[in-house]
Amino acid sequence: MNEAKKKKTETYVVVSRDGSMSALGAFFVYLISGLFLGVGFWVARNKFAVDLVSDPSLTLFLLWSIEFPVVAIVYSFLRKAPEKCSWSKAVGRSILGLISGAFMNALGAIALGAPVGMQYLPKTIHWSFLMSVFTFLPATAVFGASWTDWHRAFASMKPIGNIEYMIVIPAYGATVGGWFGAWPMPLDWERPWQEWPICVCYGAIGGCIVGQILSLSLMFLFRKHKNLKVA
Amino acid sequence: METHPKRINRWIPLAFLLIHSVAILIFTRGFLLTRTELPFHSTCSDASLSPCLSPNPPIHHSYSNQNQPKCWTKPVVDRVVIIVLDALRIDFLAPSAFFPAKPWMDKLTVLQNLAFGNESSAKIFKAFADPPTTSLQRLKGLTTGGLPTFVDVGNSFGAPAIVEDNFINQLVLNGKRLVMMGDDTWTQLFPNQFHKSYPFPSFNVKDLDTVDNGCIEHLFPTLYKDDWDVLIAHFLGVDHAGHIFGVDSMPMINKLEQYNTVLERVVDILESQAGPGGVHENTMLIVMGDHGQTLNGDHGGGTAEEVETTMFAMSTKKHTTSVPPEFDTSSCKQDPDGKQMCISSIEQLDFAATLSALLGISFPFGSIGHVNPELYALGSSSLNLDNTKQPAVKEWMKSYVNVLCVNAWQVKRYIDVYSNSSVVGFSSDDMSRISNLYSAAEHNWSNSVKHILMYNDGNEDSTNTSALKAQIAAYLKFFSSVAELARSKWTEFNLSLMITGFGILVISLILQSLAIVHGDNKPYGVSSGLSTGAAFTLFIVLIRACSFLSNSYILEEGKVANFLLATTGLIKLRYSVMRKTMRKEAFVFLAMVSVLRVSIDIGLTKQAATSQFMSSSPTWMLGLAPDHPALTYAIEIAPILSVAALICVLYVAIARTHSEGIWKYVTVGSMLSYFLIALLWASESKIFGFDGLLQVIGGRNIIPQTVYVIGLVQLFLLASAHMFCSGKDKNWGSRTVALVSACSSPVILLSGKQGSMLALAYLLAGYCIMRLEGVERRTKSDGQNKFSKLDSVCVVQWSLLSVCMFFASGHWCAFDGLRYGAAFVGFDEFVLIRQAILLTIETFGFSIILSVFGLPLLIPSHGEKRHQLFQMYMLYGVISATTVTATILCVTIHRRHLMVWGLFAPKFVFDVVGLILTDVLICLASAFYL
Repeated sequence: MNEAKKKKTETYVVVSRDGSMSALGAFFVYLISGLFLGVGFWVARNKFAVDLVSDPSLTLFLLWSIEFPVVAIVYSFLRKAPEKCSWSKAVGRSILGLISGAFMNALGAIALGAPVGMQYLPKTIHWSFLMSVFTFLPATAVFGASWTDWHRAFASMKPIGNIEYMIVIPAYGATVGGWFGAWPMPLDWERPWQEWPICVCYGAIGGCIVGQILSLSLMFLFRKHKNLKVA
Repeated sequence: METHPKRINRWIPLAFLLIHSVAILIFTRGFLLTRTELPFHSTCSDASLSPCLSPNPPIHHSYSNQNQPKCWTKPVVDRVVIIVLDALRIDFLAPSAFFPAKPWMDKLTVLQNLAFGNESSAKIFKAFADPPTTSLQRLKGLTTGGLPTFVDVGNSFGAPAIVEDNFINQLVLNGKRLVMMGDDTWTQLFPNQFHKSYPFPSFNVKDLDTVDNGCIEHLFPTLYKDDWDVLIAHFLGVDHAGHIFGVDSMPMINKLEQYNTVLERVVDILESQAGPGGVHENTMLIVMGDHGQTLNGDHGGGTAEEVETTMFAMSTKKHTTSVPPEFDTSSCKQDPDGKQMCISSIEQLDFAATLSALLGISFPFGSIGHVNPELYALGSSSLNLDNTKQPAVKEWMKSYVNVLCVNAWQVKRYIDVYSNSSVVGFSSDDMSRISNLYSAAEHNWSNSVKHILMYNDGNEDSTNTSALKAQIAAYLKFFSSVAELARSKWTEFNLSLMITGFGILVISLILQSLAIVHGDNKPYGVSSGLSTGAAFTLFIVLIRACSFLSNSYILEEGKVANFLLATTGLIKLRYSVMRKTMRKEAFVFLAMVSVLRVSIDIGLTKQAATSQFMSSSPTWMLGLAPDHPALTYAIEIAPILSVAALICVLYVAIARTHSEGIWKYVTVGSMLSYFLIALLWASESKIFGFDGLLQVIGGRNIIPQTVYVIGLVQLFLLASAHMFCSGKDKNWGSRTVALVSACSSPVILLSGKQGSMLALAYLLAGYCIMRLEGVERRTKSDGQNKFSKLDSVCVVQWSLLSVCMFFASGHWCAFDGLRYGAAFVGFDEFVLIRQAILLTIETFGFSIILSVFGLPLLIPSHGEKRHQLFQMYMLYGVISATTVTATILCVTIHRRHLMVWGLFAPKFVFDVVGLILTDVLICLASAFYL
């Protein structure tokens, strides 16, 4: 779990409850990010002739560097308090979020037992950037440095509105998926994908997708619930 | 009201200690088959005690002028070439007519042609190995003629050298010269016995060729020389090819084809020198496997594929004796051309006895095998060279029956001596059955057969022959019943005992859990279904228990525990962020976990260097060179600084807990001990210039001994203080600090220089666990009895932390993971009990002793303490017992697994010892604290 909510002091407390994002919109956002993840894999395979197993660090680098601009741009449109914070500022802070999130992810991974050694360093760095794209980047783009929003959404698990569902549930999904993805690593099957960080990546991507599906269905239920209430 | 629960509380841990001991004892009786190694050796002169004819009976004057020294039997071959092909399956050698055809069959054609050719003095045997089918145990079994078990009592721990009497040892005693080449396991088992040896490292499974090429390089030149009597060449390629690629693979077929050419050359050399006066005039070539393998290349268990291996034997003398059909074990098949092909069968158990008989040396003392008739017949062609008037079969039978007589006497002697001197002997029923069989055969021998052999009048040939046959049959019956008894005793698990032990343990787990839940329902506690914390605890404990079902997770147990500990730390961090308290502690805890994991990694690389199951992958690499001056400086300084920090911690603890009276003095004593330890380390290192100090105070043993004495005095003071001021002093903090500090100084001293740093990390992590206790519900239910309920997560964290400490302090669950050096800190001479105690303190010091005694430190500063402490101890006991139950389930399931003796059984022993120690300490701690 990336409990890296050690953020700056509460600069502004603006909770804009714009439940403007519909489940369909969320689905399209997910579709775009998933599409570009696929593009990342495609580029890695067809342009560089590598995959996660043969060259994890290059593949991971391609994945996160293709995925990152898309996620940053898309989620910056969904930022909170758009009247106070311009789109370009949101993109700028998401870059900061990416780096600090990668740092937090790397620390968490090392505490959990990721190998520390010079030959693993690039893999760990690129992996943590990819994890940061899944977990921290959307949140920084949307919340910025609003500690109350972070705290409410991640620590207290009380997301409000569809956008926060979109941020929190896939992020938790990716971390839990990565956690489970580490389980096959010690087994003696001698498969190349058991190396750090390959199966953890698969786990994280899988967990992220499960989180996305879960959040979509929650949004769907939530909407129905609201409709019922209205009716 | 106050005294009643106190009574109960003290007895409950004792009851669980008893239940666990009984369960483990029962299980161990079924699982850990033990055999006592006897220190006795056979000598040539022993044979005069037997009722048999000496090898130079007075009537055979023709033999007495031979210049060879005679021992138990008349030697029939002069030299033996033993080529061991590791993991040689029966279908690698035996012709494919016996099996459904597969691509790896019929590759060793040179041996098949020899065995099934006309005029041959060669034979292929199906050889049965006994489990455990691992190379080391098999070599031991082959050479001692016994059935090695996991716990061969008397085996010197650590060094694998065989101390029991064995075939190799007998060869040396009888003046035979041995040459060995190939697998270096032989030189580990027999460090001094070889006249010449060319060992090659065997641990790298991925290397198919180093050992084999080394063997080949030395084999051919040696075959031409005459400076040896027995040659052993051990090839490993097939075993390694099986492990890596499996049986049905090109590398395996290539290996077998390579062996075929090697063997062809060997046979050529032997035959070219086989003429009269040649070096190999009377040589026997034996090509054998030590065990089989499954199609995946695994071995170690007792399945047919693993135990069925093969043996090829050939004598360079062309004339052979056929065995009477009663004793012929061969099974025959027609090959496609209609040629008759027969393979015989032999037990590996009989190998040592048969070879001893062939070479004419005394049989190993502990051998329970018998001389195999067909293999013996292959070599005995030299018997009837000058005695042509008798039929060959009869002559062979006469010599064979005498050999069997000596053999039977030797086996009976071993069984008797073993039964008298072993810890766990045979039952009297079995003994009397065996004795009856033996005395019947022996009676028959003395009354009739002996006379037939001694006064050979040549008459009544048919009656004589049938008498001889009956005698041989009687002996063989005796041997088979001995082997059956030995197998049931030494190779077969008693499944019902194992299941009983497991069942008792499961019942005790349920009872223990009930004790905790029952405690919860008392008025002190808040009863509330299954809380999140309890569910999470259950989840973590169950994951850890399930992880023991796979050998991979057992190998990486330290990492698994660390992973789970870090997971609990992250969860706590999340809660602490949520509640906006203790964030600093949560981060420090994660940092300490990271420190421990680095330490665990270093420990694992040490383990990988010796383990046969782990590949030593250097995941840990420092940029600094190991002898960088800054690094050496840091290594010298850091432990001493840590000790200084520990002294400060104790000082603060005294001040904070308001220690008074005896508790304070005990804690001050620990500070003194710490100071002495720091002084010792400073004087051992070169950079402080304290080198002269050790001479001044008189030897390097003074300081450790002083520390031990201080520790003992402290414990004595604590015990007496508890007895005399029981109930008066309720200041728990100071009592715990006193007890833990008193125990910690010897532990730190024994753990060496890393000990102080680990203790510091342990202390910090424990402090964080204490501060984070109950963080997830700190603000949730304010006001209503919030701290009285047991926080199970922190006990799980404490228990996981102690497991991590076990691995972080450089231990692992194997006997080579014990640090024997620690037993000699402060002492030079060896006294078993004293050194064993020191070794136990070193091994389980951090993980069990400090962990159990330090558990009260986790209790928050208010609430109903005594009851909660009891619950915490029960929970801690449940967690330990759960892991042991999982281990026991795992060894029951995997009892025929490849790694059962290398991995599961040591893990079982460590866990069981740990559980008993935990139970004992919980009893003591609850007597002290409650």
